Amino acid sequence: MVKVKVVERPPADLVVQSWVPELWKGMKVTGRHFFRNVLTGKGIVTSQYPEARRPYPPRYRGKHRLMRREDGSVRCVACFMCSTACPADCIRIVAGERGDENEKYPVVFEVDFIKCVFCGMCEEACPCDAIRLDSGVHRVPAYTRADELSGKEDLLSLGTLSVSRQGGEFK
Amino acid sequence: MLEFVLLTLLKILGFVLVFCIMLAAVLTWTERKMSAVIQDRIGPNRASILGIRAFGLFHPIADMLKSFVKEDFVPAGANRTLFFLAPAIALVPPLCAFAVVPFGPGDLVISNLDSGMLFVFAILGFGIYGTTLGGWASANNFAMLGSLRGAAQMISYEVSMGLNLVGIFLVFGSVSLTQIVAGQGELLWGWLPRWGIVVQPFGFLLFLAAAMAENKRAPFDLPEGESEIIGYFVEYSAMGFATFMLSEFVEVIVIACIAATLFFGGWQIPWVDPAGTAGGWITVAQVAFFAAKVLFLCWFQMLIRWTVPRFRYDQVMSLGWKVLLPLSLVNILATAVVLALIA
Amino acid sequence: MPTLTIDGREITVEPGTRIIEAADRLGIDIPRFCYHPGLPVAGNCRMCLVDTNKSPKPVAACWDPCQDGHVVTTNSPRVLEARRAVLEYILLHHPVDCPICDQAGECDLQDLYFAHDHRPSRHFFTKNHKAKQRALGPQIVYDAERCINCTRCIRVCDEIAKAPQLVQVQRGERTYIDVFPGTQLDHPYSMCTADVCPVGALTTRDFRFKCRAWLTHGIDTVCGECSRGCAIRADVYRNEVQRLVPRHDPEVNGYWACDAGRLAYHRFEAGRLEAARVAGAPAPYAQAVREAAEALPGAATGGVAVVLTPWMTCEDAAAVVAMVRSAAPGAVFAVGGAAAGQADSVLVKADKNPNHAGLRRVLEAAGVVLVPVDEVVARAPSLAALVVLGTEHAQADALAAALRQAPLSIAVAALDGPLAGAARIAFPGLSPYETDGTWVNEAGLSRRVRQALVPPAEARGYGTWASDLADRMGRPLAGGDAAAGKGA
Ligand code: SF4
Ligand code: SF4
Ligand code: SF4
Ligand code: SF4
Ligand code: FES
Repeated sequence: MVKVKVVERPPADLVVQSWVPELWKGMKVTGRHFFRNVLTGKGIVTSQYPEARRPYPPRYRGKHRLMRREDGSVRCVACFMCSTACPADCIRIVAGERGDENEKYPVVFEVDFIKCVFCGMCEEACPCDAIRLDSGVHRVPAYTRADELSGKEDLLSLGTLSVSRQGGEFK
Repeated sequence: MLEFVLLTLLKILGFVLVFCIMLAAVLTWTERKMSAVIQDRIGPNRASILGIRAFGLFHPIADMLKSFVKEDFVPAGANRTLFFLAPAIALVPPLCAFAVVPFGPGDLVISNLDSGMLFVFAILGFGIYGTTLGGWASANNFAMLGSLRGAAQMISYEVSMGLNLVGIFLVFGSVSLTQIVAGQGELLWGWLPRWGIVVQPFGFLLFLAAAMAENKRAPFDLPEGESEIIGYFVEYSAMGFATFMLSEFVEVIVIACIAATLFFGGWQIPWVDPAGTAGGWITVAQVAFFAAKVLFLCWFQMLIRWTVPRFRYDQVMSLGWKVLLPLSLVNILATAVVLALIA
Repeated sequence: MPTLTIDGREITVEPGTRIIEAADRLGIDIPRFCYHPGLPVAGNCRMCLVDTNKSPKPVAACWDPCQDGHVVTTNSPRVLEARRAVLEYILLHHPVDCPICDQAGECDLQDLYFAHDHRPSRHFFTKNHKAKQRALGPQIVYDAERCINCTRCIRVCDEIAKAPQLVQVQRGERTYIDVFPGTQLDHPYSMCTADVCPVGALTTRDFRFKCRAWLTHGIDTVCGECSRGCAIRADVYRNEVQRLVPRHDPEVNGYWACDAGRLAYHRFEAGRLEAARVAGAPAPYAQAVREAAEALPGAATGGVAVVLTPWMTCEDAAAVVAMVRSAAPGAVFAVGGAAAGQADSVLVKADKNPNHAGLRRVLEAAGVVLVPVDEVVARAPSLAALVVLGTEHAQADALAAALRQAPLSIAVAALDGPLAGAARIAFPGLSPYETDGTWVNEAGLSRRVRQALVPPAEARGYGTWASDLADRMGRPLAGGDAAAGKGA
């Protein structure tokens, strides 16, 4: 059983209804803010956006990036784990044959930023540290839907070498 | 004769056009800046000339330029003549009201009418036409409803506003603003200025409430309801809208002037005997003192506006008819009885 | 007739039945890799070990025949431990490529590992590396590291395709599958090797890397490439067929299907007729219906010929015949269709159309006397109207010429081409993967064709088209077969 606590409306007695003391109380609050901010400016919380930017929190994610292998090629093996995990279904991958022992790579790797919710599921699902959401680069809004697609080159341009080892052998 | 005309024109120029209109423009800035500061924001500060921002003081200028160049939209089906006339009708009456306000001793009033306050009531009553016609001429149901709300509210509060000044008239035995100011120059028991607020404190509160309601400003801004309900000037853009806005701020000043005159001793400086001081400077000081009182009352009205949330419409109407009106009558009665007893 | 008990449940089976078959009939799951119900038993993977009262050690359920009085346990601790050990052994050198392995999601090894082993490898030496991405033939790519040497693929080639092209080479942990030197895996059933492969060792070039198995949803339908009508499943993702795989249909195709049939869906991936056309200009479907419905009855007196296609479903055929009969009672019908081709001794039939038998039945029931297509072509100049359904006609060019000669020419075509180009009014039709209905194969077995894809917005099945036309002519089709055709 949920306990229901009934809170009576405070009675509006004549003093309250006369408005004058209540108005006075309210004006004390607004007046306090007014004088404090006019005289000292201490209470003001606005930041002057384009000139003064608040630093991003350390765990800010930003756009995705695709990590690189030692030879600079894309680390992703086009396993579709990220696009499977993605709740917004916004990753489109077309896989292709690499022709070396690494076999598979993404010919197309597109993130649709208009759908992406920056949840990081893709990063979590990736078995080989190929996609990360730690670039810290703000997604720039675009005018068309097509421009919201971020392709492989774009994502790779933010990418760096991954520190985790490819192959997963015990050493 | 020529001298009289020139002098009057000079007074109109100085008091109405320079002081009041400029003040109204600055009030648009004050309003926004004050709301910002009260809400811990910075407020408008981006308009700049040659890189000088001056706390956003150039915003009224920018707004004015914008109003001039914006498209003057006329909705289809609108009555064009009335549509353009309405803002003017809203602006002119409050400007006329300044005619009888003494802003300094002696001749420093545009027209020293014996019927001073009656003239003010009469002329302010015209303001309703601006509101009503503006809504009606827009051919918009929402604007129409807004103007109906406005008309009902203004008529209601006009009654109590008139009645709760009767107390003052009784005390000072006149409706002429000049005489009322003169009456407030005395001291009670040798130390207390005999200001209207001292002899009619209750009347002042009632007057302030009624006057703010008459001016349709928050917490009585139901005819307009800029933030969510749609008001009578919803179809206005550019200068038409700016004029409505300006008239609102001019009315703020009118109320401040009348309140200063009736309740705060007008241009009187308490405890200073003008006769005992030398020449012109005391006059300048008195005009400045009057201006200071007006500025304070403008500020005070704005503080109220940013403190109190809006009433519901039925609350507005019942406050006007069921509370303010009876209280004004009681005030008159009590004043009359006290005066009779003293006499 | 031996009677035995498996996990406490009794069953009587024919002599020679293997334990695993008896268990399958009871619905008791015994894990397996090398056993396949459609293939001879090899018994080499040992995944199917079970305990019996007739032997001291666990035995392979796929190999041991049922005996009278057999008591089989499939879930004793000893059996479970044996399975775990077998799995660990199979996985010893397994690359665990799952993220890039096309089998992942439908891999027996994956599933069984999670069900029976599910612990990290204890193998800390370098794994054996073998050939990867080795093309065995035009359709098949082989990954020797993933192969568990179950030999299912070899048995498919030997026993089903009768083309012994694969062989196991090397020994022990170096064993792998290969083709004989200088040859390749190219028999017409080569893609079945990838189907039976329990792991991702064999992949088809067609599906390789295209899509992950778990993203697709399968629609059970029928292959139309020959009159065998193999049961297939269309795996669809984002309204595109990703692959076709054979389904089990004991009366028709067993577990198999030919490569040609499985690649046929590519034909409908491009070149579709997306919108109706009137006199060469694109027109809304409704307008094309209006024009056709106005013109057709008027042509009735001058001679109307309709060329049907053996690719249409029985329901569609009935609806079309009913519509044409009501508009032009004297219309003559012909049946076109793809030219006959090669047959083989396994599945492939010479008739390259799926529904000749069904069409024949429908037309017989309706009392339609057919004329040859050649006759229709020859009579074209004297016809008032010619209607050609479908595009898969051997005489397509002749029919296109005939369409040009007829004063009123109508085509319903899924693909844009000479026929749609020649007709005055062309309607967009459905591909077999967008169609619902019944096909009857050469053996007279009727099978359900199911819609796997959402068709282009303006495209309609023959039945719907006929019904729309009939409605427009003010003679709606009656109930029964014709009404059923409306749903197509
Ligand atoms: S961050 Fe989330 S929504 Fe965006 S691509 Fe990754 S999984 Fe999808
Ligand atoms: S980014 Fe990672 S999870 Fe996504 S396809 Fe590439 S390897 Fe797989
Ligand atoms: S065959 Fe199975 S277990 Fe092996 S890599 Fe492929 S999916 Fe994984
Ligand atoms: S390729 Fe596949 S079917 Fe053939 S032996 Fe290896 S695992 Fe078995
Ligand atoms: S399934 Fe029995 S040994 Fe492979």
